[in-house]
Amino acid sequence: MSSMYSQVPAYSHGIYPPTSGYQQPVGPGYSYPQLPSTQPPTPVYHVDPNSFRRDFTTRLAELTINSRPIIQSLSMYAQEYTRWADAVAQCIHTHIRRVPPWMKLPAFYLLDAISKNVFEPYARHFATFVISLFLETYQQVDQPTRSKMEEMLITWRTGAPNGKELFGVITQLSIERGIWGGDSTSPTDVSSQNYLNTISKAQVLSELEFTLGQKDRALQANPWDVTAQKHIEVLHQLRNLVEAGVSQDELRQILNQLRSLTRTAPQVQPSLSSYPTHPTQSTTRSYAHRHGAPATHPTYSYQSEQPKPVDASTLVPAAPSSASSRPLPTTNIATLYNALLKAGVVSEGGASSSDHLHEAKPPVSDTAGYSRDASRSYRKAVLSEKVKLTTADILKKRSSVVDLLYNRLPVQCKQCGLRFTDDPCGKRQMDDHLDMHFRQNSGVGQNVGRGRSRCWFVSPEDWTREGTVDAKGKGRVDGPRSISKKVVDAAQRDAELRAQFVVVPPGDEAKSIYCPICKESMKSEFLEDDEEWVWRNAVRKDDKIYHATCHSEAVTSALSLAARLRNDGCSRSRSRTPEVSALRSTPPRSTAAGPCKSHSASPDMKRAMLKRKVDDEDGSLIAVSEDGTPATKKLALAV
Amino acid sequence: MSDTSQADTKEWVLEPETEYRFELDPGTSLAIKLSRGNAEIFGAELAEGKTYLFGFECKAAVFTWQGCTIVMRQPSTEYVSEETPMGSYANLHMAFEQMRVRALSALHGSPVPGNDHGANPEPPRVLVLGPENSGKTTICKILANYAVRVGQSRSPILVNTDPSEGAWIVPGTVSAVVVTSPIATASPVNPLGSAATTGPTVLASNALSPLTYWYGHSEIKKNPLLLDRLIRNLGENVTERHCNDPEERTSGLIVDTSSSFVSGSSSADSRHTLVKACVDAFRINVILVVGHEKLNVEMQRLYGSQLTVVKIPKSGGVVDLDYNYRERVQNYQLHAYMYGQKIDPPPGITSAIVAGEAAADLVLAPSSSVVKFEDISIYRIGEENMAPSSALPIGAIRTLSEMQPILLDPAAAGSGLLNRVLGVLSPFHPDENERYDEEILDLSVTGFLVITNLDVPNKKMTILSPNQGSIIGKTVIIGSFEWRE
Repeated sequence: MSSMYSQVPAYSHGIYPPTSGYQQPVGPGYSYPQLPSTQPPTPVYHVDPNSFRRDFTTRLAELTINSRPIIQSLSMYAQEYTRWADAVAQCIHTHIRRVPPWMKLPAFYLLDAISKNVFEPYARHFATFVISLFLETYQQVDQPTRSKMEEMLITWRTGAPNGKELFGVITQLSIERGIWGGDSTSPTDVSSQNYLNTISKAQVLSELEFTLGQKDRALQANPWDVTAQKHIEVLHQLRNLVEAGVSQDELRQILNQLRSLTRTAPQVQPSLSSYPTHPTQSTTRSYAHRHGAPATHPTYSYQSEQPKPVDASTLVPAAPSSASSRPLPTTNIATLYNALLKAGVVSEGGASSSDHLHEAKPPVSDTAGYSRDASRSYRKAVLSEKVKLTTADILKKRSSVVDLLYNRLPVQCKQCGLRFTDDPCGKRQMDDHLDMHFRQNSGVGQNVGRGRSRCWFVSPEDWTREGTVDAKGKGRVDGPRSISKKVVDAAQRDAELRAQFVVVPPGDEAKSIYCPICKESMKSEFLEDDEEWVWRNAVRKDDKIYHATCHSEAVTSALSLAARLRNDGCSRSRSRTPEVSALRSTPPRSTAAGPCKSHSASPDMKRAMLKRKVDDEDGSLIAVSEDGTPATKKLALAV
Repeated sequence: MSDTSQADTKEWVLEPETEYRFELDPGTSLAIKLSRGNAEIFGAELAEGKTYLFGFECKAAVFTWQGCTIVMRQPSTEYVSEETPMGSYANLHMAFEQMRVRALSALHGSPVPGNDHGANPEPPRVLVLGPENSGKTTICKILANYAVRVGQSRSPILVNTDPSEGAWIVPGTVSAVVVTSPIATASPVNPLGSAATTGPTVLASNALSPLTYWYGHSEIKKNPLLLDRLIRNLGENVTERHCNDPEERTSGLIVDTSSSFVSGSSSADSRHTLVKACVDAFRINVILVVGHEKLNVEMQRLYGSQLTVVKIPKSGGVVDLDYNYRERVQNYQLHAYMYGQKIDPPPGITSAIVAGEAAADLVLAPSSSVVKFEDISIYRIGEENMAPSSALPIGAIRTLSEMQPILLDPAAAGSGLLNRVLGVLSPFHPDENERYDEEILDLSVTGFLVITNLDVPNKKMTILSPNQGSIIGKTVIIGSFEWRE
């Protein structure tokens, strides 16, 4: 089915020109040093490896936090003393093994920085132990650190100066298999086919996060980059899709496209503008061939990621400039998503044509349907019993609780006793639950004697937002809520909105119109079935045409806030109307808060808006109340 | 799991809706295995074939709805009871589930079946009140466990406002957690689950992420004003969290209280101020009064018009706990905060789990370090020994408010800092302009320290800290708890 996709260059082929000065996008607070060649030599000269080793160990001990200057200086120091590379490698190795889990990541960043900057001889020294060290560390650290390590691991795929695996393909594969699973039968088979065997959801999610992070940073560097914005949007949808559960084929397709996306990114730099866009084309070819729809292709594999907005040209909106270098029209974004939906239909239904967009039911709808059915039948069961909250009524004997707690949930986890239904929804919960146990068990044994300790508690700011961060893979890694219905619902709602269209009045095909909310132009396209030009993702309200997603977002946020805003006599109470919502929009400089970006698929932004509102609201409420309790006082002061 | 030493084992066949109750003596442990049927401990179901360990003077009960056989490895004080209030607690759970599904339906905009009164469906926000030794905490645990077991991704918030209880941390705190997995019972050290460690856990309830405020004392009367303030602060944050996550809000919340909220000799109005603080802070809509007729009537009178007050039966299995026992448990809890809890299995047991986890996984390694006096600012809230306001002569006014933070000098003679438990405050507001005098009273805590040695001549002290994170520059508050290893 997906044989076409194997034409998408798998990364191990390394057909791309080598990338120089690869910047690994890591979390804030650290970015890789570009070692200047005119670095003043270190004042200390070591004559024997032992004193060097002592000195390096001492310096290494300072690396307790993720500090760029420390990593940079250690990295330069290592560059200075390549003749004792084995000692450096040993020191780092011992250091990472010895230190507590929360200090391991900075040390890994150091290892990463040294091997990328001084590839020879360090990479081969590290390669001897990096597999076990990485996997062992991975088991000991918490989830956010794991995500960081996964991000780093992904950069290792192309970390070598020739664009290949930093520590060699076998090392790379071993580590990836160690953390994401996958059952390659022949570990020595280094062909790209290895990557196409079994792909786990976790792996795809992790790569999605990585790519998202890359795009987010690109967007921060260049807030006007419409392409990047759209990429992020699509990636968010993809993530929802994957989290909701998709087939192996789809996982593979997503993964392939992701990889082409990530790989293409670093090459399209202004300084490398002479490079032909052949990677894009090669990806495009297979993709276009597959769907026979020229409009669908290059947008996803294309990215103008500029490392720094150094010259004036990057300060102007990037979209036109990238479009000019683009060989093909980019009229239809979100095609990656749609195309995947289509692909989903194809791979499920066999031979059906991908052109039938109306039949393109998102694959998530099944699971969403199941979970809706399940919760509906649960609701019915619960409400069928008449229980009143009175002293007399709760003394009555009923047996319904046994049904709810036992009989309705026949599948039981052997390890902890938790129960699930035996419908598809419950099966998925059980699978996730067992995965969680497995992850936990594989980490146990190794932790004995290595010292667990009590964590500090979270701050109120983090605690009050905890429940809403699960999409990022932080927190809530276990527990039934990790397969959040919300995500499924959101993805489906979004797909439905995007499928809406407005027929373009005859003669207006060439006219460009703009969504009053996000101010972006509406893309018209030709529906072959209906033989009409339409604006996709569009809705007509009061003779204005909005993006369906923007409009829905504006309405829901206005409604959910309406209650809280009721006491608020100022003009904000009229924010029901999308026009007013649009007025609230912040200029595009601040990338995080523009309402046009607040799709249901980007909970971060929505939350940011909501939070701001809530704060304002609390403040105004407090101003009129005479409560005067300490906490409200605090809030009042904070406003 | 070896079934070799048959001689030591004892088998109990429990009829449906009966429970096996046991009480452990200090220093003993007990192992229980479910060999057939279904059984649960305070609402958390046991997995068949697993051996569960209990220790630290644990007093608990294995209840079965449908009948079961359990195998005991080391019987102790034990008996089987056929009279349990579980049926009533199950009815409560059903009533709360109905409230939850209605609230969820309303949130999703779907029609709410059976909601003919047209009332706005609210999730259950339950306050559990009762006299001493009435099983309030256990009821909270059962209700939370049933909620997370129904397979509907429920995540109720559990709040502990009883500072004499450690809940999931240490005594002296008021705090809240979100429960997503059943809470297992192994000992009174963690009656409501355990706060997170650096290691992974089988049950989410052993890696809870609490929002915690430090009251610092076990007794309510020590500083009721401060407790009132902390409860309201906690409520603010719970409300904000529920605003951020409307779906989670529909799971509701359950608030455990201290018996001192409703007892005492002073007039009814003044002793119910903390009940009022809870009702206001958590927007309570259901009050459960455990087995106390007079209290029920009082609550009906005070709150009957605005919310539902229900009297519920007390379990006959509740053990009267004396002051010494509670003090021992508080010591266990402080120890477990730093070192985790280690329950030695009875002889003959090779593989057993404690509160759902492998026994070895519960052992923790704290960190001890020497810091200079000036590295940490230590405050006390109010006077060390303060008579309650009501005990002052008529017309007299305090010279020192019980809410005033006082900076302590560790070098001062008789500072009383040695072996004291210190609550580490969250950082002050990053923006200077947002700060205010009493901010220190409104900050949550991130953890606890113990001063294990004071070296006055060198102006240094040894601090035991739960982990290796830096404690330099922290502001801490002392309470009245002391702890020695």
